Amino acid sequence: MLQIVFDALSLGSLYALGALGIALIFGVMRLVNFAHGDVIAFSIFALLWPSTDAMAIVFAGNLPWFLLIPFVLAVGAGLSVLCEIVVFRRFRNTNPATMMIASFALGFVIRYFLLMLYSSRPKSISLLPVLSQPVEILGARLPLLQLITIIVTIAILFGLVIFLRRTRFGLEMRAAAENFSMARMLGVRANRVIMGAFALSGALAGAIALIFGIQTGTADIQMGAAVMLMAFISTVIGGLGSLAGAVLAGFLLGAASVVMQVILPVDARPFRDAFVYGAVILVLLFRPQGLIAARGTKERV
Amino acid sequence: MKMKLTLLTAAAFTAVSAVFPAFAADDKIVVGFATAQSGFMQAYDQPAADAAMIRIDEINKAGGLLGKKIEVVKADTKSDRAEGAKAGLSVLDQGADLVVVSCDYDFGSPAALAAEAAGKISFFLCAESVKAGIQGVGPHSFSASVLAPVQGATMAEWAFKKKNAKTFYRLLDTWTEYNKGICDGFDWMMPKLEAQGAKLVGKDTFKNDDASIAAQITRIKALPKEPDAIMLCTMMPGAVSAIKQIRAAGINSMILNGSGVDGSYWLSAVPDLSNFFVPVQGSIYGDDPNPDVQKFNAAYKAKTGQDPSSQYVYPGYVMIDVWAKAVERAKSTDADKVVAELEKMKGEPTLFGPRTFTSELHHQNTAKYLIAETTKGKPHIVDSWTISEPIPLDALMK
Repeated sequence: MLQIVFDALSLGSLYALGALGIALIFGVMRLVNFAHGDVIAFSIFALLWPSTDAMAIVFAGNLPWFLLIPFVLAVGAGLSVLCEIVVFRRFRNTNPATMMIASFALGFVIRYFLLMLYSSRPKSISLLPVLSQPVEILGARLPLLQLITIIVTIAILFGLVIFLRRTRFGLEMRAAAENFSMARMLGVRANRVIMGAFALSGALAGAIALIFGIQTGTADIQMGAAVMLMAFISTVIGGLGSLAGAVLAGFLLGAASVVMQVILPVDARPFRDAFVYGAVILVLLFRPQGLIAARGTKERV
Repeated sequence: MKMKLTLLTAAAFTAVSAVFPAFAADDKIVVGFATAQSGFMQAYDQPAADAAMIRIDEINKAGGLLGKKIEVVKADTKSDRAEGAKAGLSVLDQGADLVVVSCDYDFGSPAALAAEAAGKISFFLCAESVKAGIQGVGPHSFSASVLAPVQGATMAEWAFKKKNAKTFYRLLDTWTEYNKGICDGFDWMMPKLEAQGAKLVGKDTFKNDDASIAAQITRIKALPKEPDAIMLCTMMPGAVSAIKQIRAAGINSMILNGSGVDGSYWLSAVPDLSNFFVPVQGSIYGDDPNPDVQKFNAAYKAKTGQDPSSQYVYPGYVMIDVWAKAVERAKSTDADKVVAELEKMKGEPTLFGPRTFTSELHHQNTAKYLIAETTKGKPHIVDSWTISEPIPLDALMK
């Protein structure tokens, strides 16, 4: 039982981090960033030397952990900010659908750039192998990484809450999320806030990349897609633009996925995701605004 | 004539080609590669295509086929199914007598169907679905590899007979037909082994891109006793993730796999992996019992600058080998005559084991597999095994 709780929490953590990365950007500029998954993939490939051989040439991946972690986070943040400067800035006054299409296109550019440098073969990489040891907690035996994922996610969430509530930058970001034009009139510098949101979102993508890389031992150009989809769904059922909602929904989605895997009979298990998405539809039927609707997105009378 | 032809539609081309069967000059035989030379399938098609080129070079050096040189023409499928059909037509247009198509059934079949429509022989480089042949394309289509179910059946029987494994657990990744094929073979073999004292203690499924298979692992750990062997029906990249998570959870059962996970390129992801078994057609690890395979490995390295990365280079060599033999015997490149000769092959010796084709199955439903065991992160050949009876067609068509 306890094991299931840990399984659900660790999978939920991954989705929650992804959802947060998307919700942050949606909050400040109404952009659903579909390139987020490809930023995740890019962050992990940055640890490898470009080559199309089957054998991965590990490069930055050999750094000790106290350099490795900042490096991956910085790569994610850097790429994300670059996307904003080069692409999204030019779309700022267009409608959300146009921006979304642009983010799709950008995602393809990043993915095919990786394909060109690294080929489509998934590359193997052993990151921080100590984390793959099993540990025993309250009678549940689980990989150390699972525990660390949960702890790190909770720490990141607390850190983010403090950042958003206690710092001036956080205040500006929340103001921008609530009413962007009003915030600008009151002296919030739009470029700075939006870049900050992209940097944070990119760093979160880097964090997912690290957890994913350690857990699966694989760098694959498609690897961001599955997490991206789940994260996007989390932001929708959480209420688009609501950070708390995105996190809550991420955890719920992870839990739903694990619980379905546990309770479904073996013949129905291949269709697990259909049941999960069915639950998503039910949630949206009853709460079309999402679990925690963001104030900024409500229709004003 | 040629200019006009390119303007005609595919259907019209077929009709015209029936009237003028030979565009190729009579002093050469043309092999057309309608395979992925770019895009994501390239990483899977190119190694086997290189191996095929090695056999073609050997034949040309030895004086050619029926006294004629083999000439190679190519068209890129760009890892795209629609482009695949075009690539197939393109090599046929260039006079291909044999159309070599992509490794995978879904990606190779458009070009194979184009060849079938033109009445030419097509060969899948390494597809392992029964559809890659008569069942999915038509009577002129073949595959150079061995059916996926044979891999699952081989591993189950070998583990039971040679490693004394009694309790089995089946973990299926529902992503591809290949994965299901491995488990279908396992499911076909299992009742026979159960009659002799083996036991299937549980089944579960996952998806290749699942972020975590923690719930599946929890179910294995909930068993009263760790199973002797886990049949893992999956492929890259999810395979590495699954294996890593199984071992990280402290499960030390034997892990049985299909050939899709052969290769040492990914082993760095699971340091010190042990008790891990893969069926292979030949060894890329420098310890193949057949010295000629080692010679081939050296030739491959000389040609491409790299060692073979997995056993999936080998079917390309086998493909040209059996086709060329059939052409020699038929004394013609006429498709129907060559197919008839191929179908006469019963246990035809090749560098990578005997091959059989029949008028019902252009694929291998039994094969001699080498068993590669990985111990402390080092794969090596420990045994070889041929299943006690071929898998019948109805079990393959499930």
